[in-house]
Amino acid sequence: MASIRFQNVTKRFGDIVALDDASFEIRDNAFFCLFGPPLSGKSTILKLILGLETPDTGGIFIDGQPVAHVSPAKRNVAMVFQNLALFPHMSALDNVRFPLVERKIPEAQIRARVAQVTEKLHIGHILGKPPAQLSGGERQRVAIARALVRDPAAYLMDDPISALDARLREETRVELRRIQQEMQKTLVYVTHDQEEAMSVADGMAVLESGRIRQIGTPEDLYRQPNSTYVAEMLGAPRINVIPGDMAGVIALPNLPAGAARIGIRPENLRVNPGGGEGTISEIEPLGAFTTLSIDARGQTLKASLRGQPDLQTGAHVSLSVDPARAHFFDAAGNALAVDA
Amino acid sequence: MHRSLSFETFRYAAILTFLALSLIPTIWMMSMAFKPVAEWQAAGANLTWWPENPTLDNFRFIFGESGSDLIVALERTAGRPILASLLAATFGTLIAMVAGSAAAYGLSRFGSGGNLPLALIQLRIFPPMAVMIPVMIMWAFLGLIDTWWGLALIYGIVTMPFSFWLMKTFFDDMPREIEDAALVEGCSRWRVFTRITLPIMRPALASSGLFVFILNWSDYLIALLLTTRDWVTIPVYMASLSSSMTGQLYGAKAALGLIAAVPPVIMGIAIQKQLVRGLTFGALKE
Repeated sequence: MASIRFQNVTKRFGDIVALDDASFEIRDNAFFCLFGPPLSGKSTILKLILGLETPDTGGIFIDGQPVAHVSPAKRNVAMVFQNLALFPHMSALDNVRFPLVERKIPEAQIRARVAQVTEKLHIGHILGKPPAQLSGGERQRVAIARALVRDPAAYLMDDPISALDARLREETRVELRRIQQEMQKTLVYVTHDQEEAMSVADGMAVLESGRIRQIGTPEDLYRQPNSTYVAEMLGAPRINVIPGDMAGVIALPNLPAGAARIGIRPENLRVNPGGGEGTISEIEPLGAFTTLSIDARGQTLKASLRGQPDLQTGAHVSLSVDPARAHFFDAAGNALAVDA
Repeated sequence: MHRSLSFETFRYAAILTFLALSLIPTIWMMSMAFKPVAEWQAAGANLTWWPENPTLDNFRFIFGESGSDLIVALERTAGRPILASLLAATFGTLIAMVAGSAAAYGLSRFGSGGNLPLALIQLRIFPPMAVMIPVMIMWAFLGLIDTWWGLALIYGIVTMPFSFWLMKTFFDDMPREIEDAALVEGCSRWRVFTRITLPIMRPALASSGLFVFILNWSDYLIALLLTTRDWVTIPVYMASLSSSMTGQLYGAKAALGLIAAVPPVIMGIAIQKQLVRGLTFGALKE
């Protein structure tokens, strides 16, 4: 059980600013996602928490205690690495036992603990094999078991399930969520998959090249992004961001002062058949939803409609949006304060 | 894959040609080692592929108990040079491997000694002769001439760059995260090295070690300059195997050559299993 706090932490590698003056707090027992494109600083945050890197400036606190002078072994944080980093010269069992053996836990306790974890992850039958003989999914589970076998203050996972295929990934992330709730532990989870972040996290931070752009619950970030960057990072299909002078196309009469750009999520864009400024250029039926691409005044907007609407490519449509569901941004891309 | 017959024929012909080119000298040496004098003498002898009257005379001869009517008795037998070669090459390899791997690990992981590679390669930029003459003078001052330990020391120094370069690429290839994982899971730096890094690096150490050993084992120039009598090595001793009456003692040389081939071959076989497998096979997700 632990909260993790960063206070004005900056980390550079040579000329590259990996993390720029980051301050945030991950509360106890949270499933916290760090979300951003590659090299945005997500992994750097994990390494700083682990103590594998030291911050250039600023302080890191685990449970309120500064950890600047605590070695990685003593920080009581467990980690699943992005490339898993299993020990190739040991069996799966020895990999899982490793953290306990290194901490000189009595043998009886080790056995009990290992049995418990391996059962939870369904890897009891493969423990005798070396990592080389395991499938990708099995390796993943062994790596997760190696982290879960201890009783640390927090777990960190660096995009651990990215190698799995879509269905297995979905299953695994739900299972991770369940395990996290059962164990009542803080879990910091790095991902570049917005769906993954949105679906399991109860807190998340969106990063862009070393800077934290916004922190909050996934719902807050989705509903009230503070910038076009955050708005575009979350949600699929991606939010439509159009210039303010196109307000007429989507039937928005009154723009707030200073609104240079308007964001409309595809599911909030209403498509009215029977003539208008928009032309349907593409229809993608996805089963429960249909995604439309609509060309209007040189821009392409996406609309997500329920079911299979009776529309044809090339048809002219008019567009509208509930003003309460539109997002307004200034010229720099920052959200305008709107009375929501 | 299906290939045409002419291509397959060509492929096998090419393989056999290269095999023959590399194996014929070795086979010739093996054959000669078991021939009596009359069969290996260059002048007037009837050269055959296989010994007509196989004998161990050549081996007896270099160990000083010649049963043959061979002209000369040897001043020195092969026993001491074999011991000298074994000691100098083994300890030289140990020095090179320990120092080279330690330097490689430090540079690969912590960037310590950033200009070290350049400094190391300088030893090899000059022609060996240019380097060896000053070394010879220094060794004379230090009283290391004609000792196996003096030879081992210089072997360690001149082959260290090789072990360094080889081990550095191996350490660079080993993902940091494996060590990071061990650090996070409770190991000290030293324990990570002994419990994780070294065992994973065993095949790399074995193959680099073999490479360095063969370099040291086959050295002629350094041993020629730094040993005179008591601790001459196999190559130097081999060069001295001649007599004023018969010229080069090819049979004796072949016998010694065969003996000299034994240690590297044994080592090669011993570590073969290690060589075929990748270092971090299975550690990572693919």
